[in-house]
Amino acid sequence: MSSSKPDYYAILGVFRDASQEEIKRAYFEAAQRLHPDKNVAAGETELFLETQQAYEVLSNPKRRSMYDATLPPDVEGNTVIKHEVFFSRPNLVKLGEPQLIYVLLEVGPREEKTTIPSPPLNICLVLDRSTSMQGEKLDIVKATAIQLLRSLRPEDVLSMVAFSDRAEVIIPASIKLDKKMQEGRIQMMQASGATEIYTGLEAGLKEIRRTLDPSRVNHVILLTDGQTYGDEQACLKLAEEAAAQNVGITGMGIGHEWNDIFLDALASKTGGSSAYISKPKDIEHLLVEKFKALISTYADEVLLEFTEQENVKINYAFRLQPEGGSVEIEMPMHLGPILRDAPLQVLFEFLVSPGALGDDDIATLLSGTLKTSITARPTPVPPIRLHLTRAVQQNPSADPPPTRILSALARLTLYRMQERAREAADAGQFDTAVRHLKNLATHLLSQGEHSLAKTALFEAENLEKMHAWSAGGNKDIKYSTRALLLSGVKEKAG
Amino acid sequence: MIVCSSCKHANMDGAMFCAECGAQLVGKDSFTTQTISDDKFRDSKVSTGDLYQSFDGGEAWGSLHLLDTGQVLPLSSGNEFTIGRISEGQPIMPDIDLSPYKAYAAGVSRLHAVIKRDGARLIFMDLGSANGTYINGKKLSPNVEQNLNNGDIIALGKMKIQILLEDK
Repeated sequence: MSSSKPDYYAILGVFRDASQEEIKRAYFEAAQRLHPDKNVAAGETELFLETQQAYEVLSNPKRRSMYDATLPPDVEGNTVIKHEVFFSRPNLVKLGEPQLIYVLLEVGPREEKTTIPSPPLNICLVLDRSTSMQGEKLDIVKATAIQLLRSLRPEDVLSMVAFSDRAEVIIPASIKLDKKMQEGRIQMMQASGATEIYTGLEAGLKEIRRTLDPSRVNHVILLTDGQTYGDEQACLKLAEEAAAQNVGITGMGIGHEWNDIFLDALASKTGGSSAYISKPKDIEHLLVEKFKALISTYADEVLLEFTEQENVKINYAFRLQPEGGSVEIEMPMHLGPILRDAPLQVLFEFLVSPGALGDDDIATLLSGTLKTSITARPTPVPPIRLHLTRAVQQNPSADPPPTRILSALARLTLYRMQERAREAADAGQFDTAVRHLKNLATHLLSQGEHSLAKTALFEAENLEKMHAWSAGGNKDIKYSTRALLLSGVKEKAG
Repeated sequence: MIVCSSCKHANMDGAMFCAECGAQLVGKDSFTTQTISDDKFRDSKVSTGDLYQSFDGGEAWGSLHLLDTGQVLPLSSGNEFTIGRISEGQPIMPDIDLSPYKAYAAGVSRLHAVIKRDGARLIFMDLGSANGTYINGKKLSPNVEQNLNNGDIIALGKMKIQILLEDK
């Protein structure tokens, strides 16, 4: 058993019991990424040859079994990524009615201080320049774009698209560009026309694809202040395509005329989320912060592939860190990125029906695989098996739930209360919405969030009297309660 | 089913926060949060397991709602409980220890009262406490049994507790 022998499974990033189909797929993906016609980085040709060798051995059942015989016993464990799972309670209880259980999943780099260099960026700013952006908003956007352009490192690519009802490429994606000339082009941007997000998003993704490279952080930042009409479905489809190519999308909304539900849905398709800019002067701050986060990306995205368990339902999944946001329940789930200093944290609520408890002593909540692609790492990361099970017992356990879950849920509960208030108001049940908002205010007060509590009470009054939200009121509450979530995580970490 | 102590909403087993009003349903004291400003919770440690038994149990038949702090102590796995506070060198311990909830300051005796269930009837008795026991404001004579109803407010010294019975 020689230790110098390369681990072909690790090279392809598959499990040792991978099927021929999985091996084939992993090889094609690797070959596309590392093909000598495309790669530029030093050492990638060697990697490509290794991948080929790995495939030649593993794709042949006879050679594979001979190779397998030489391997040391499989040690489960991932050398690159570590993950931790916390359950709200140690066991499920044999009950004739449905029950809930919460799971907190944390995924982060195995080594605290990683030596992997910070990845180059491939970012496209997609800017709304419809008439409503005129004035302060557009001025700040321009100034910030120029500031970002100046702060780029030589290896970064920043493109810019401005859109209204049609899109115009202000700065094309290219590796070496004349910054002075581009600054001039940004300055010349004028506001006009209506908002049609699809045209802008499509042009932005086209720019991203010109310099698309898995070793870069490929990301679209969409900044808008308006609603788009009729093209939402087409936009969501674009986002799905982007996600498949590992391109992330962040939505930023200015003012209170834009559709936060749509922008959230769009971003969450790629594991991102939306941000709310209530005052134009916050544009700069938020954009710069976003750039910082993108530069500190460790892994673009964590994907959760899973099979649905009978009688177990994921009620919701919510990312607590690095960017608070709902995670769409789809196959695969886009959980979000891992930053160097902020591991990914996702909280799941599982609804377990009596049927899942069966006659066994163990119930499976979820069985799946976590897949990560680390931006600055050419070789694939071995996937992680995720098998969430709980013992089924007659009696509930007396153990208190883990503090991490409790404190996360305490804050998530606030966020969900505003969601419920909104749902109720949308359905025309204003009494219910008012009640939820008042409850929310009470909790906010007891947590010392006085100004936010006031906002909630003010909105409750508004809803009671006018049967409508105040301008921006529901966004204020939504994004502030979401921000609380993050501050809670940070306090814990600090 | 977990019934929320503040709004009576019936939550699913395993729920940790009330789906209706957002009140915390479990493990209130194990959680020394940054959110509670009053220091009294931060130092308090709950020694009994009583607190957590309700959180996925259908077993609790009633609970004590501490009106001053909002905590709910479930009553389960037994039909008779002595209530008081645990202090050092005490030979007989109460089943329900109220010392984490400022019981000393409120004038709760070490063995203050007893609550028991007799079929559908609920009985309450003062055990000769120093500061007396009241039901809905009426003082009890020591060692005399008294009936209790759902929603009654008892006072151990100055500590007010509401009786909540589960519907079965």
